[in-house]
Amino acid sequence: MIMNSFVELTARERAEAIVDKGTFRELLDPYENFRSPHLLKQGIIAQNDDGMIVGKGTFNNKQAVVISMEGNFQGGGIGEVSGAKFAGALELALEDNKKGIPTQPIILFDTGGVRLQEANYGLLSISEIQAAIVELRNYQPLIGVIPGRIGCFGGMSMTAALFSYLIITKEGRLTLNGPEVIEQEAGIKEFDASDKVLIWNTLGGANRVATGYADYLAEDSLEDIVRIIGKCIGLGIPVHRSTKIDAYENLLASINPKENLTPQGLQEYMKRHGFLEKDYTVKKVISNKKDHLQKQLPAQVIHSRGRSWFNGIVGKDYVNKSKIDSVMCGDISLNGEVARVITVVPDENSYYPRAKGGEVGLEQGWEIARCIREAMREDEGKVSRPIIAVVDTPSQAYGYKEELLGIFLSCASAVDAYASARLAGHPVVTLIVGNAISGAFLAHGLQESYIISLDDDKIVVHAMSKKSAARITKRSISEMDKAAADVPGIAYDIHSFNCLGALNHLIKVNNHDAPLNEDINLIKAELIKGIKTSRENGNTLKYRLKTENAIIYRALSIEVREKLKELW
Amino acid sequence: METLKYTFQAEKRVKHKAHVGVVGSANLEVIFLPTNNSFSTMDISSKFEGHSAVWKSILERFFAENNCLADIEINDFGATSGVISLRLLQALEVANLDNE
Repeated sequence: MIMNSFVELTARERAEAIVDKGTFRELLDPYENFRSPHLLKQGIIAQNDDGMIVGKGTFNNKQAVVISMEGNFQGGGIGEVSGAKFAGALELALEDNKKGIPTQPIILFDTGGVRLQEANYGLLSISEIQAAIVELRNYQPLIGVIPGRIGCFGGMSMTAALFSYLIITKEGRLTLNGPEVIEQEAGIKEFDASDKVLIWNTLGGANRVATGYADYLAEDSLEDIVRIIGKCIGLGIPVHRSTKIDAYENLLASINPKENLTPQGLQEYMKRHGFLEKDYTVKKVISNKKDHLQKQLPAQVIHSRGRSWFNGIVGKDYVNKSKIDSVMCGDISLNGEVARVITVVPDENSYYPRAKGGEVGLEQGWEIARCIREAMREDEGKVSRPIIAVVDTPSQAYGYKEELLGIFLSCASAVDAYASARLAGHPVVTLIVGNAISGAFLAHGLQESYIISLDDDKIVVHAMSKKSAARITKRSISEMDKAAADVPGIAYDIHSFNCLGALNHLIKVNNHDAPLNEDINLIKAELIKGIKTSRENGNTLKYRLKTENAIIYRALSIEVREKLKELW
Repeated sequence: METLKYTFQAEKRVKHKAHVGVVGSANLEVIFLPTNNSFSTMDISSKFEGHSAVWKSILERFFAENNCLADIEINDFGATSGVISLRLLQALEVANLDNE
């Protein structure tokens, strides 16, 4: 039998091929001319569909929406237009399903993640895509295909980790931080970006399926991919990977981070201990971690803004509800009700050493999720308590083991928990006191229905550190700074971020590093206001496109959604 | 980045709109739109500057051979002249297919 290669097709050809023959109807096609003005301002040639193909059709006679990314255009990166097409299509599919019109989403990934030339536009879009996915998953199984050549990276790997089923080929890669970025941030000894064999063995489709981070390894053939999609639809909505906190925390505690771990070794280890069995439940906690912690000297408390503000808000007499010291979680009484406060802080004794500096690492993502879901369980049938994320995080953790052990899934579990909490009626409010960067910000801070920040020029909000962003976009740092003057989405300061409309309020305080009592009181009053507003808005992210700034600076995000709705 | 605009006298009206190609490395996107004018327009955005002479000769040859009437838009990311000619012919073929 002659197989039709799927990888070789363009994004549009893939979308058209995947649905029942003759049923594909593209929405916002290239003739509508929604190009990225942000790329043009930076002297980069834009494409008329912005590299994101959205269409409707049927799959085995069931109504379907197909979203397909063009990896050959800007690495399939998510910018404002492409992000709004993706999010808008999911939001419309959600509306259909709510109205009782079953609409099956099929997503064909080929993306490097956030398009760095549009940075925070991409970051916001991805958080909106993720919000839609967590809700849509209650109606239809979310099916994602990662055919390659690019694969699925960055914030989009976290997005994929929220899916019900992931189908990947040997040519597909799935990972949070690309090898070049890990090498840039953690050094060549941590991960050698030129070692292609190691890269493919670690991030490639075969290993991801063998270790359970993706579900099915497909041949590079249209027929095989269509067959597996059909099978997944038949299986219905599963227990989602990103909610399996006990299983993955147990896995992480049972592995010794100091020992060598090859992809092959992990595969055998997981098989031996039954991690890959469908109904895997934690029977016996295997823990290397306990021994490790017993041998450690008590860690010196490292100052961080996150810790200072957390301590100020929560007070001294609190018991950490989190199982690890790098995640702080406490309940406070706020305006006559209980509220849960969560932050990530530096910890010298962090079991996985790449997350010593306040990064959201393998353990931190799952632990944030646990803290949120614990509050959700306790509040069942009662008033849903507000959850407050205090954000001061330099980044996600960069490391080889981080990628091998699925940091994208760990970060996604936090996204999942925050979004699920919102859907369960918890107001979820973010307070930015320090840096808010990249995947870490997506995991901890961007699912929130109200966001406030200290008004401090030192705060950095971005999709990637300047050095790495320069390396990936092949520009000098001064060239990037110059471009940022014209495009607020790619600037690194909190005031530029504020332009994009997602911030509800910038607050001036006396001391950013060591808040005074009056600072804490002021912030608490703002949090109370945020909680109230969030409840009034139904704890959704929809306010983001309604603020004064959004109407100016995210006009395209709004227009794309409106136009999609017209064409739907 | 460079923007180039040209017009060419032409007669054979294309049947419908067409879109081919991707703005990828050494590749380009070509769009044909039918027109009621008696001349074709070319609207080119190219990543690389200083190639207007090359563009002009590629286009002159294309119109001399095909005499096609359309408003044409090109988004180019450094395609070679061979690839440009190929994409133009592809787009023309799609624009004149009967089944659309």
